[in-house]
Amino acid sequence: MRDGDREDLELHRRLTSGDRGAFDDLYRRYAGPAYGLAVRVTGQQILAQDVVHDAFLALWRAPEAYDPARGPFRTFFLALVHHRAVDLVRRESRLRARSERAANLEPLVGEDPADAIAEESYLGVRRKEVREALATLPPEQRQVLEMAYFGGKTQVQISDELGIPLGTVKTRTFAAMRKLRAALEDTG
Amino acid sequence: MRDHEAIQELLAGYVLRSLSGDDASEADRILSEHVPGCDECRATLDAFQAIAGELALDAPVVEPPDTLRARLRRELEPRASSRWNTGRIVAVAASVVVVVGVGAVALTRGGGGLANGQLARADLQDVATTAVNPSATRQPLGEATEISSPATEKLYIYGTDVPLPAPGSVYRLWAGSPEQPRYIGDFLPTDDGTLLLEVMLPASSVGALFVTVEPAGSPPGQPGEVVWGTAA
Repeated sequence: MRDGDREDLELHRRLTSGDRGAFDDLYRRYAGPAYGLAVRVTGQQILAQDVVHDAFLALWRAPEAYDPARGPFRTFFLALVHHRAVDLVRRESRLRARSERAANLEPLVGEDPADAIAEESYLGVRRKEVREALATLPPEQRQVLEMAYFGGKTQVQISDELGIPLGTVKTRTFAAMRKLRAALEDTG
Repeated sequence: MRDHEAIQELLAGYVLRSLSGDDASEADRILSEHVPGCDECRATLDAFQAIAGELALDAPVVEPPDTLRARLRRELEPRASSRWNTGRIVAVAASVVVVVGVGAVALTRGGGGLANGQLARADLQDVATTAVNPSATRQPLGEATEISSPATEKLYIYGTDVPLPAPGSVYRLWAGSPEQPRYIGDFLPTDDGTLLLEVMLPASSVGALFVTVEPAGSPPGQPGEVVWGTAA
């Protein structure tokens, strides 16, 4: 287990006792990655703020939802943020113009100094490993993975958009996840 | 039973939140019937869930505005005291209105809550615990959201800013389809539009949900026009 994961475990243990200091520390550590993810998935800063707000509040109210036996806190919390972001996108899709996405997203990418700060942290090390693992995927596998994960699209929607059979979308997604599992478990 | 390869292919789509329709239903079934007793699939699910968290790191880090932290600080109720019995949270939970009984227009605010044995005011802590579980599923149900988890077999309906139906009417919740409806119960949002309901049936047995608007106190015969439906 990495030092950062151990620190997270201790912060989570304190959080279950209602320790606001632990909450603040977890917020400092994960607000940037969580908000960056939520902005990328929702494409709107206001929605992204709601996602991150709700995720942290849920963590405060029910910290026992995280089971340390099932993996690092980091992956639990960021998966939670992702799920909320995707759910919100689907709910708001009627209202969301896709053009807003590009307009809101592009200026944010790479502009925040927090990116550089985070690179120095243990999250930065893991980020590098994740990006290296993603880079090993064949383009067609990475494409369906990113459309699902960051685009919030269903496999049926991906099939329609790419004009490929649904079974192919499933096969590529599964292959991508298996490769990432092998790569990231080796380095995790 | 599907082979492990097919099951795990489904789990890959599930953790990415990318299943819909029959695949989503099949994943729910597998998660409740197969995965809990299969070490290999449980390990795969945990590993794929972890990847769903790790992939977040590919997004650029963006610090949220300070206003978000201030908003959270205001809403962090003390954990030492009864966190579910104070402040806004309880105001939400306690003010939910559920129509009691069939053919009656008795309403209850707060304390009571049971409708007809299948629909009740939800305990907010139960909803929150279910909602933060990574295996929880949310899907729109009209103006509200249906939250369920194969792990708990619970099903909740939560909404804010839900409009009141026309005076003298209630929302009526059904399972199944308009052709083969199964009556669950009647409900109204609070005056401020809050809904917090628990369907007192195993989530896996409920299937699709839909809502109609019916005259208050009318018997649950054939459903009228569907105003909310679970997304296909």
